[in-house]
Amino acid sequence: MFKKEMGSDEIETIIGPSVQVEGNFVANGDVVVEGMVSGSLKTEKNLRVGEGAKIFANITAANALIAGEVQGNIKIKENLELTSTAKVFGDIKTKVLSVSAGASLSGKCNAGEEKKAKLEKIEDWEKTEKQKTKNILPVNGEKI
Amino acid sequence: MYLYLYDSFLNSKKYSRFLAKTETRLTDLGIGGKIFRLSPLRNVNELLAEEVRNGARTIVVVGNDKTLTQIINLAAKFDVILGVIPAGPNNKLASILGVTDAETACDVLAARIIEKIDLGKVNNTYFLSNLTIDGGQLTIDCENQFRIIPQGQEQINICNFRPVFVSPAGQTNYFNPRDGLMEILIQPLKTNFWQMFKKPAALSSIIPFKKIAVRSKGSVPVITDGQKIMKTPVEIEIAPKKLKIIVGKNRMF
Repeated sequence: MFKKEMGSDEIETIIGPSVQVEGNFVANGDVVVEGMVSGSLKTEKNLRVGEGAKIFANITAANALIAGEVQGNIKIKENLELTSTAKVFGDIKTKVLSVSAGASLSGKCNAGEEKKAKLEKIEDWEKTEKQKTKNILPVNGEKI
Repeated sequence: MYLYLYDSFLNSKKYSRFLAKTETRLTDLGIGGKIFRLSPLRNVNELLAEEVRNGARTIVVVGNDKTLTQIINLAAKFDVILGVIPAGPNNKLASILGVTDAETACDVLAARIIEKIDLGKVNNTYFLSNLTIDGGQLTIDCENQFRIIPQGQEQINICNFRPVFVSPAGQTNYFNPRDGLMEILIQPLKTNFWQMFKKPAALSSIIPFKKIAVRSKGSVPVITDGQKIMKTPVEIEIAPKKLKIIVGKNRMF
């Protein structure tokens, strides 16, 4: 599914293997990195990091497929796929994470929907509040 | 009113029949106009200024790519509509615009499909198609946000139109002169035997931009539209919808 989304018709920026990019790289369309990027890398669409690519940057994207080396934090809105050749040294935050056998990941990993986590927190808080109110009730059973 | 600018090479006898035929066709279509023959001794800038003042709104370049690129700066300056009738060899730009030969060009002029297209601007000089920088240790600063450093021997093309050597397959989004963006195309120079057989797309980089500055250690030649030579450092930006040009149905954008 993800590979289809990364079809060549949608690719807008390609950083080839013989190119190095330094600084805050911001793109509106899809990005393919085969070379080296340092600084930060941000796209509103899809990102593909090739096998030979090296990224020393924090990454933000909608979807990402990583086959190369990334040193930095990765924040993906939807799907993140780490292939068997991927090496990630940094924290990951995404909705859906898939990791192939052989991929290396060193850092905190937060995968799943943020909203659900928030709802669970609210439910926990409500439970503790209810328990508190029970504890306040007087011994003879009269309501305050 | 139409103003036809004939390149100086058309003064040669071998083009007299071609010109007579084209002029007859233009008259038949009712789009005949004033004819001006370019020569190194005549100042085209002054002529165009006068003709625009007298009401000329459409300038038709009769010649090849070189003639067209010479007139681009003036057409952008005077805000006139530009047309092309290809003559002689080297008419790649005309074919990109959907004008393959003189006969088609006359019909295209009569149909008058006008497109507003982007122009590239390098140090206050406009260019239509692309700009080439060969070799040298370059750094490209993009919109003061990031820096591109090509490693090794590279050929750098700054493209508005699709370069002839790039196949259109799978790259439909690139090189559109109406999208308000230009593309940096970085390709390694084919220095060894095995690179000859590698697919260029596998090694090349394509980065869209609006404004860049190119700097180098020494001065490196920068060639606009294969004609005018400038030297680094240069600032390149897009001039969106700067040129009004008459195009054919079979245009490549």
